[in-house]
Amino acid sequence: MITVKDLHKSYGELRLFKGIDLVVRKGEVVVCIGPSGSGKSTLLRCINGLEFFQQGEIDIGGIELHSINRVRPSRADDETLRKVRRKVGMVFQHFNLFPHMTVLENIAEAPVRVLGLSGKEAEERARALLRRINLEEKVRRYPSELSGGEQQRAAIARALAMRPEAMLFDEPTSSLDPEMVGEVLAVMKGLAQEGMTMLIATHEMDFAREAADRVVVFDRGEIVEIDTPERIFTRPRAERTKLFLSRVLRR
Amino acid sequence: MSRIRRIILCAVAFLVLSGVVVPCLHAESALGMIRKRGYLLWGVDVEGGAPYAFPDPRDPSKLIGFEVDLAGAIARELGVEVRPVQNAWDSLIPALERGDFEIAMNGIEITPQRESRVLFSRPYYIYTEQLVVRKEEAAITDFGKLKGKRVGTLSGTAAQTMLEKIGGVEVRIYSGQVEPYEDLATGRIDAVLLDLPIAAYYARPNPKLRYAGEPVGEGFYGIAVRKGDGEFRDRINAILGTLMQSGELKRIYEKWELWDKTQERLLKQNTSPDGYVGLEESRKAPLYTFLPALLKGAAVTVIISTASMALAVVLGLALALSRIFGGAPVRSVAAAYIEAYRGTPLLIQLFILYYGLPNIGISLSPLTAAVLGLGMNYAAYEAEIYRAGIEAVPRGQMEAALSLGMGRSLALRRVVLPQGFKIALPAITNDFIALFKDSSLVSIIAMVELAKTYSILAVSTLRFFELGLVVALLYFAMSYPLSLLARRLEDRLKGAGK
Repeated sequence: MITVKDLHKSYGELRLFKGIDLVVRKGEVVVCIGPSGSGKSTLLRCINGLEFFQQGEIDIGGIELHSINRVRPSRADDETLRKVRRKVGMVFQHFNLFPHMTVLENIAEAPVRVLGLSGKEAEERARALLRRINLEEKVRRYPSELSGGEQQRAAIARALAMRPEAMLFDEPTSSLDPEMVGEVLAVMKGLAQEGMTMLIATHEMDFAREAADRVVVFDRGEIVEIDTPERIFTRPRAERTKLFLSRVLRR
Repeated sequence: MSRIRRIILCAVAFLVLSGVVVPCLHAESALGMIRKRGYLLWGVDVEGGAPYAFPDPRDPSKLIGFEVDLAGAIARELGVEVRPVQNAWDSLIPALERGDFEIAMNGIEITPQRESRVLFSRPYYIYTEQLVVRKEEAAITDFGKLKGKRVGTLSGTAAQTMLEKIGGVEVRIYSGQVEPYEDLATGRIDAVLLDLPIAAYYARPNPKLRYAGEPVGEGFYGIAVRKGDGEFRDRINAILGTLMQSGELKRIYEKWELWDKTQERLLKQNTSPDGYVGLEESRKAPLYTFLPALLKGAAVTVIISTASMALAVVLGLALALSRIFGGAPVRSVAAAYIEAYRGTPLLIQLFILYYGLPNIGISLSPLTAAVLGLGMNYAAYEAEIYRAGIEAVPRGQMEAALSLGMGRSLALRRVVLPQGFKIALPAITNDFIALFKDSSLVSIIAMVELAKTYSILAVSTLRFFELGLVVALLYFAMSYPLSLLARRLEDRLKGAGK
């Protein structure tokens, strides 16, 4: 589904990725862990086309992101980029709900404007999604009237309304109060059980342990280790994995 | 006790008044002061002031004109020098009353309403009004054929009163003498009625224009001094008499090609004459009689401001978007536009647009020029306000929209701009109110809006104070609802989420 090959990315002089390889198969849940600034989020943003990269290949369900000219994009390049984004939904650390729209409008906006659904179809789709995440009574509310957990669940519903083939989660619980983390993770677990292909960057180790098919450990722009959660959390091979886990699990 | 106190108070007040205020108001006779000081202050408007008083084209630091010669002769007879004081023609009388100078002499017609405010010398020139049309004009042969035509004249002149008396004439009011003839030549108006000396200097040499019919009307230019300077006025009268007897006045007028048979009557006209029936009634008329004219001016103000704001909003948005999202060349063009328009005075831009463009063959109507001028100027400010608003929207908003498969322009339109607008709204309101008041500047291009209506009415009735208050009130009555409206809009948007 998602194939990343020999990815290089640098910000000016600062080189972040010096060749990263990662494959996410259909229906797989892959969780990225690692210290802040190690490159988890950047990888997700590259896959979604929000960041561009200097070298390497990213293939998403047959669409090649690396063939797009990002400096002077043609009409076709823009179209390809939009296709990629329609295949993979994205959930952000800061939710990024549209503050001037109600929850319903937030969710229905893209289906109507991008997929060309009628307002009624889009609303039905939105209501069905909100019912699934227990937020139906908030359809007419504005994001500012929702709690953080509710906002993030609505943001997940917004991404799902586009019926993506895969979902990217960029630290979805990092800016939530602790008591709200659970409700968001529960929604994500539900999605995983339904067979959604997911690539998640997170600091929630318990979630990684329970929900991931594979765990990817990042450190300073490199993938240190990829393995099942069981092996990563009980018998890590790399020194840097051990060091990272000892730091986060002690807390 | 209280009575004693009152007396003391009155005494103190009297002392303060006589000590502080009266010297400004010439405790001494004007004549004595001028002699002591050694020079005479003469109020005059030299802007477009030929052939009365204007900067010498060969040496602009020097003033020339027949009134310069006359003022020089008068000063010489008084045994002093003369110093011209530049003052807008419209407000020469108020400035004289205020004490800015001792005499006002600048083609000021002797009219009853002016005589109620100042003293006039005996006439020094008998003026007539000359109608001027374009060379190819066939319909307007003389003064009687002006109904339904657009006729330009100067603000507050006798010609204006004459035109208004005909009725059915679309009178265009200008504040300079050059502009009406310019507009006549480019076809913006059909005729110009102004004092003969003006026509002789500005219209006769212009091959595109010609005189239509004989001069009409007749009146007198007088030298204005303050009420209470009667002795000074008598001295001026005596000097004028001498200049006429000696033939010096005639020589001055001949030098400026102003001498004609009419002027011979000056000698006999040795007292201040009875003016024709003027606007005496309007001077005493209750304020509400001016309301229709003021409301009409207010309507023009509203039309100009709304239309130019609409232009500023659209053009400003285009500029802001070009500046943020455009390629390098587009970006620099937008930036250059903004800097150029912000960095130069609106007044100059209006002048170039209205009086400058005809030089290269583009002649805009006053309304078009006003709306374009204001709109293009304010677009520069609007652009910066929008840019600030758009850039204040968190990046994540654009990213979220893109990640949902929206294109950049759709994301901009649906997600970023509405939020940017909300942030920018207070500044936009502010800008609109400023534009609303700046619309008064377009009066320089012959648009009679509220401020111009005020100056026209005030100049002809000399009721600057009461009319000024009424006009200020009208402006406030129009701009305050705008603030309220904007506040309500802000509150409504605030309801729509953070």
